[in-house]
Amino acid sequence: MSDPDVGNRIPSHAVATLEHVTRSVVDDPDGVSVSVDDTDSRVQLNVTVADGDMGRVIGKRGRMANAIRTVTRAAAVRDGIEVDIEFVD
Amino acid sequence: MEWVETSAKTVESATELALNELGVAEADAEIQVLEEPKPGLFGRVRGNARVKARVAPLTPRPKQEKRRRKGKGQDSGAEADKSDSSDQSESDDRKSDGRAKGSPKTATRDDAPKADRKNAAKPSAKGENNRGARNHKTNDDGEREMMPGDEQVQVGCAFLQGLVDAFGLDAQVHGELREDGILAFEARGEGLGLLIGPGLGTLDSVQEICRNAIQHVAEGREYGKVRLDVAGARSDRTAALEEFTKAESASVMDSGDDVILEPMSRMDRKIVHDLVAGLDDLDTESVGEEPRRRIVIRPA
Repeated sequence: MSDPDVGNRIPSHAVATLEHVTRSVVDDPDGVSVSVDDTDSRVQLNVTVADGDMGRVIGKRGRMANAIRTVTRAAAVRDGIEVDIEFVD
Repeated sequence: MEWVETSAKTVESATELALNELGVAEADAEIQVLEEPKPGLFGRVRGNARVKARVAPLTPRPKQEKRRRKGKGQDSGAEADKSDSSDQSESDDRKSDGRAKGSPKTATRDDAPKADRKNAAKPSAKGENNRGARNHKTNDDGEREMMPGDEQVQVGCAFLQGLVDAFGLDAQVHGELREDGILAFEARGEGLGLLIGPGLGTLDSVQEICRNAIQHVAEGREYGKVRLDVAGARSDRTAALEEFTKAESASVMDSGDDVILEPMSRMDRKIVHDLVAGLDDLDTESVGEEPRRRIVIRPA
């Protein structure tokens, strides 16, 4: 997981949650990585997964992706930061 | 084109009825709200909403749209595979809900997860190409092998405990595979509201992911239907929804008129369908499309 102590705009709970949740549903947990992009006004969390795991993360009609977003945003409340979550191909 | 006038518990319901009558999508219709209802818990209202609508002039009305309004057949063509599986699940949802009426509950429970998994398997198999194509483990009779109960519980609890930790919260996670086949998990503790969310939205999302995490480890074996609660929020809400459904059902029986409920999540709809299915003289149906899919309760 990303270093939670760097900077004051690192949503450490959101990142930990996003990593945990994503790793729980993919074939290759080690292939999951989350990067934090806080260059814009909103903090964006970019998730990459191993080749072939994207389908699992998105789910049918994006249901899984939406569920992951919902839960991660809830965790971000703990950080006091609003986040967007992007699944990067 | 002539105006049609409808009335229902909510403006949305009345609009939906009007659009169904006209057979067009909302974008192709001209809608006027004649009367607003007063809102209440779970869509209980005191006065009906009334709207009038007509097909917007100059807009051709594609047949496709017509079918769409009836609540099915979302996509076509390119996404055929995907939409097929989703549509399938929608109709399964409805069919199995409907079937619950008059048939023993256990039969429905046995059916539902199978249909679920069958559909869920499609996109994932597509998504991961040839990597570890999940061979469904079957026994000699061709039936799905069962994942050991304690393993199901363990996988779910590990996922949930990890989530609670990631949130930086403090909670005790319990899980059991109940005799009715429900894999019931509950997190107990103080200050767990974030895991519940408005309208149980976060809780439902966590449940969905938990189900997925178990399904992933199950690798094609049978596993229980996952039900997650946090600090009793779901049971409280279920109890309230059941009370509300009973009251609405009683009013349908008294008046003989259909009642259209507010849009609800599929899990809430299931609760209503199941409860009304246990009553003799009433029928339910889900109409409209997500996220505005709603239940109509009507005399059988």
